[in-house]
Amino acid sequence: MAYKPQYNAGTSTVAANRRKQMDPAHKLAKLRDVTDKDIVLIMGHRAPGSAYKSAHPPLSEQQEPACPVRKLVTPTDGAKAGDRVRYIQFADSMYNAPCQPYLRSYLEAYRFRGIDPGTLSGRQIIECRERDLEKYAKDLVQSELFDPALTGVRGATVHGHSLRLDENGMMFDMLQRCVFDKKAGIVKYVKNQIGEPLDSEVKVGKPMDNKWLKANTTIYHSLVGSAYRDDAEAIEYIQRIHGLRVKYGFMPKE
Amino acid sequence: MTEATFPQCRIDSERLMNPETTEKLLNRIVSVPGVRRMVLNGQRLPMTVPYGPARGLDNPHPMRKTIHVGDQEIPLQVHVGTVLLEIENRDVVPALKAAIEPVFTDFSFRIKEGKFMKTEPSLVDYCKYGPNADKEMLGLADPSSKSRPIILQGIK
Repeated sequence: MAYKPQYNAGTSTVAANRRKQMDPAHKLAKLRDVTDKDIVLIMGHRAPGSAYKSAHPPLSEQQEPACPVRKLVTPTDGAKAGDRVRYIQFADSMYNAPCQPYLRSYLEAYRFRGIDPGTLSGRQIIECRERDLEKYAKDLVQSELFDPALTGVRGATVHGHSLRLDENGMMFDMLQRCVFDKKAGIVKYVKNQIGEPLDSEVKVGKPMDNKWLKANTTIYHSLVGSAYRDDAEAIEYIQRIHGLRVKYGFMPKE
Repeated sequence: MTEATFPQCRIDSERLMNPETTEKLLNRIVSVPGVRRMVLNGQRLPMTVPYGPARGLDNPHPMRKTIHVGDQEIPLQVHVGTVLLEIENRDVVPALKAAIEPVFTDFSFRIKEGKFMKTEPSLVDYCKYGPNADKEMLGLADPSSKSRPIILQGIK
């Protein structure tokens, strides 16, 4: 029988959403339009339109050692061109943000090539070659993994994941990189991800409504979403893993 | 003379409050007789970026404004989420609750009695203020802070 991966345990919508996002066969829905220039501006690694800086000469100009692995693995565009490695970092609110740091690393590992994800409790960073990064970052911002109010692109000073939202429904940001335009009902980035002011605002669209967020979130939250304890299958799974890990600590002899 | 211990309470809101809401709330609080001291708690909003590659740059923030409470201007330094109060007696709590209820129309709040502010000097207070610490100041600010309390006069 062919192996069929099981991405995540649980019977709740949260678990189903996690499975959906992790499964590379599921095409992520595109919810907003962000241009290449916008992404470059938000990340702030280079001026829009400028050439990519390189860390080494293109692979075609290099003398590569005879290596079977290099023959097997096709380099990504960025690696081929010798781009330097850059990053994008996301902070996700606990209040029903559509994606969460731990899950981001999972799904990126399933969906993208040549990446180095770093996961922390409230934020997740992804490092890769610059031109690959821009492509991936665009996918991440345009798709259902992003909500303008509850997901933040934050390179430094990321605090906000576990805090109460503000009155406008935005996640707290000490540097207020994005602001909610009440009149237009959209969120605009006014600073890049490290907090330097932008020359022109970058619009990232309307925050999603509560109903959509509740139906598409990937975090359990007993107050604003579905409680972890209500998902019997997820509990059973985590208890099994916990039990096995504890027993293994005692080095059981078969 | 017996030292009086005053009751304390805490107001928590469901959302972090905008400066306009904070102003409304504080004006409601000062209209209630019997509030002795008050601390605004929340996430700090510094004037400049404190760390990271943009360290030292200006940090304009829409939630950092100067609000007008009683007869005083208060420059907000935090995004207010919690207000700690020291009150004359426990009878003030229902009056406070009734006074602030109209402020929270779009989201909920909770008022809780307990002990939230320091009333006795700690070791750090002793290092900063010495043996004769002013008890009015204890618990209002971090001992390392240079900011002074704002005194709202003429509200009794």
